[in-house]
Amino acid sequence: MAKSSTARRLDEPLVGVEQKQPAFGGGEPPAPPVRPNTPVGSNAALAVAMFLGAEAMFFAGLIGAYIVFRVAAPIWPPPFQPRLPIGVTGVNTLILLASAVTMRWSLRAVRANDRKQLIRLLATTAALGGIFLAIQGFEWIRLIRFGLTVSSSVYGGLFYTLIGFHGLHVLGALIWLLTVFVLTQQGRFSKERHVGLQTCCMYWTFVVGLWPVLYGLIYLY
Amino acid sequence: MKQRILLGVLGIWTACFHVPSIAHACSVCLTGANDPTADAFNWSVLFLMATPYTVVGSIAGWLFYTHRRSAAKQEKNETAEGLVHLTWNPKESGR
Repeated sequence: MAKSSTARRLDEPLVGVEQKQPAFGGGEPPAPPVRPNTPVGSNAALAVAMFLGAEAMFFAGLIGAYIVFRVAAPIWPPPFQPRLPIGVTGVNTLILLASAVTMRWSLRAVRANDRKQLIRLLATTAALGGIFLAIQGFEWIRLIRFGLTVSSSVYGGLFYTLIGFHGLHVLGALIWLLTVFVLTQQGRFSKERHVGLQTCCMYWTFVVGLWPVLYGLIYLY
Repeated sequence: MKQRILLGVLGIWTACFHVPSIAHACSVCLTGANDPTADAFNWSVLFLMATPYTVVGSIAGWLFYTHRRSAAKQEKNETAEGLVHLTWNPKESGR
């Protein structure tokens, strides 16, 4: 006959259940606290981190190609090609960097449950991103008028490929941000649940963080 | 038979070392030491080689930071529960 699980072992002393509770000066030692196996971060944030890794590798490939042409060229930019607008793009860089700051503050605002401030900061971030894209578009039109096109030279091809892909990423981030903005206005994010905003912030930070690298490499180097 | 194969492989290997222009193992190896094209490829290779380490390191660092922050937050929340366990005194219990 199988032993019952509730049966007392022969060598086990007779101790009442109430004596097993932790008390001053006696009783059984308490069991260590059980920590629930809760995840340290959201799966969506991890997925976006992986996606950003892939994006970084994509841009690394483009930058690698740029380095090959740039370092091998005896004169850069090639003769009879227009020079890039360093000053205006420098100001534009500051605008984009400011948008990253407001984006981080918006994450702080949602954690503080300050919805009004969150909406204000998201609107500011979107406006700064929009200004960046507008200035970039304006500069592109000027450069095309000066004769710098994708097919004009390797210089033009590399410039439009690298800066164009970055511009597309900023546009994508802006669309994502506007979606998050609408969801925030609908009250879909709270202190406890704001993964959508967090992932958007991660993507925005990546896009902004990439720009100074591209600016330094293509405009200044 | 085995010796012939081995000799053949060794012969090809030696020939490749002595006549590198036939081997064409690397598109950059034939250029001179101070050639800008070789420099360009070298810098590009170095950059592309370092990028995966940077990317994976960044993700791992972010995960580590998130884990540490989460553990610290959990410990902070458990301080009230911890007081219960302090009530048990092994000296007074006589064990």
